[in-house]
Amino acid sequence: MSSYAYPEVLVETDWAKANISKPGIRFVEVDVDTKAYEVGHIPGAVGFNWQTQLQDQVRRDIVSKEEFEKLVGGAGITNSDTVILYGDNNNWFAAYAFWLFKLYGHRDVRLLNGGRVKWLAGADLPLTAEKTAVTPTAYRAASADESLRAKLLDVIEIARSSSRPSNLVDVRSPDEFSGKVIAPPGMTETAQRGGHVPGAASVPWARAVNQDGTFKPLEELKQLYLVEAKLNPGKPTVAYCRIGERSSHTWFVLKYLLGLKDVRNYDGSWTEYGSVIGVPIER
Amino acid sequence: MNHRTRVYDSIFEMLPGEENPSPMVRIGKMNPAPAFELYAKLEWLNPFGSIKDRAASEMIRDLESRGELRRGETRASGRGIVEPTSGNTGISLAAMASAKGYAMRAVVPQKVPLEKRVLLRIAGADVDVINDQMCPSPGMGEGSIGIARSYAKAQKDHYVMPNQYENELNVAAHVRTTGPEIWRQTEGRITHAFVSLGTAGTAMGLSRFLKGKNPAIRIIAVQPSEGHDVPGLRNKSELHVTKLFDEKQIDEILEIPFELAYTRVLELCRTEGLFAGPSSGLIYEGARRVLERDTKQKGVGVMMFCDNVFKYVSSMVRHVPGLGEE
Ligand SMILES: Cc1ncc(COP(=O)(O)O)c(C=O)c1O
Repeated sequence: MSSYAYPEVLVETDWAKANISKPGIRFVEVDVDTKAYEVGHIPGAVGFNWQTQLQDQVRRDIVSKEEFEKLVGGAGITNSDTVILYGDNNNWFAAYAFWLFKLYGHRDVRLLNGGRVKWLAGADLPLTAEKTAVTPTAYRAASADESLRAKLLDVIEIARSSSRPSNLVDVRSPDEFSGKVIAPPGMTETAQRGGHVPGAASVPWARAVNQDGTFKPLEELKQLYLVEAKLNPGKPTVAYCRIGERSSHTWFVLKYLLGLKDVRNYDGSWTEYGSVIGVPIER
Repeated sequence: MNHRTRVYDSIFEMLPGEENPSPMVRIGKMNPAPAFELYAKLEWLNPFGSIKDRAASEMIRDLESRGELRRGETRASGRGIVEPTSGNTGISLAAMASAKGYAMRAVVPQKVPLEKRVLLRIAGADVDVINDQMCPSPGMGEGSIGIARSYAKAQKDHYVMPNQYENELNVAAHVRTTGPEIWRQTEGRITHAFVSLGTAGTAMGLSRFLKGKNPAIRIIAVQPSEGHDVPGLRNKSELHVTKLFDEKQIDEILEIPFELAYTRVLELCRTEGLFAGPSSGLIYEGARRVLERDTKQKGVGVMMFCDNVFKYVSSMVRHVPGLGEE
């Protein structure tokens, strides 16, 4: 097995099974389908709802530091706990939560490799519908680490610059990239225009995972991002998608598996960029 | 049980098999190669309305015989079935489970037509509608399958999951019934079987049985174009979720623009009097393409017409201008 740049941020299902309900280790499930947690979860896991708990409910933004503290403390997690995130769709929203935990300075947060789909496939891996009892804690978050985040102006600057590669990764589907559709069918959050940021490389997020939901080995990831998409590891890199969730998954791959130094997630993503007057768009 | 008078002691006696085959009807005007006998096998005449009666009855019988199902004082206190379904398997399972006194929960993707979701409830199923179309991508377990599996894993005392995507009985059902029916109905003369791919149970089962009888029989599958709206079917990019699919068992896979499924449904209704559903429309288009390659060819082809159009009124309105009342 190739060694990722920071292998400690991934845990395997065997490890997880052995560490269920160990003190100091807390499982958190974050799904696209917010019903999934209630139907069944890893014993002892808590569930976060990405729609109501991981974003600000008034402004368009991530949850504030105070809300994040309330959420994490309310789930009985302490600052010194090891947090294991997992979820459906190959950890798509779990990766978004991972980005938030890092942004708010949680020391030890990891992803369960393979996420929910691999867990479900394991005959000996337990699942329960029972509510997890929690004792709230006084969780303290750090101020948001804005170096993990790209803002609209950063992206416009990259779009207007002629320097190539621009190190922008568009992780949406090929039809969104080409502008054939503005958003996947049935999505409510959308933009005014279709297309992509000029200079962006198209690497749909799910290309980073195997059939069983686990991340591809290092060599394949290198081939995908550094050779095919021609990202320059020496330059700052930005990943974006439609609303900043799929791109957290790629952000994780680039920063922790490939070890690129400066990787940021553009959480405004296409719903923001594709709605701004006068910014350059390519189709 | 008397298939001649068609008087039965229970609906279960009407399930299809060699002695009670679903009918085959020859295609007339819409056959581009007149010397080629082209038949539609009308699966909607099965007791619960689709080809899925075959796999569903096989799977439910197996669960019963292994003692996996339990009637409860109340439906919730027994042990019932949970199954991910695009509708037809669920409707067959729900009808049979209800008639036998078991609970049934169907987990269906959001794109399943309203008619099927309501029919599931009419048949007595609890229905979970899952939005798993957010960003379909290779490798991703399908949402409805994951949720159904979660019920079966987290609530073992209440649910067992037959899982048509992995259950060999879904193939065996066609080896036991559909294949022998066709063999007898065509008196062994069949040269082509035209099928679609959902779980691939039909394609694999027919291939196994028919090629066992005569390896020269061609199994031809159709798939709708990517991003399609043909409930029950899969594009090749979506086939990884079914463990039953083995491309080597199929001679040819034709990809067809999915809208044609709806166009052909209209023609079949209006020209042949066949009230076939969209997957049948797509299969017909596949057969037609094969026959148009050589309109002088001879042979005997059987198209699996999996269900009828009644369950797709809302889909028809969406895809065929002028049918609605707006
Ligand atoms: C309407 C319809 N057509 C075709 C199929 C495909 O059959 P199979 O699952 O055996 O491949 C299905 C099954 O899901 C169906 O519901």
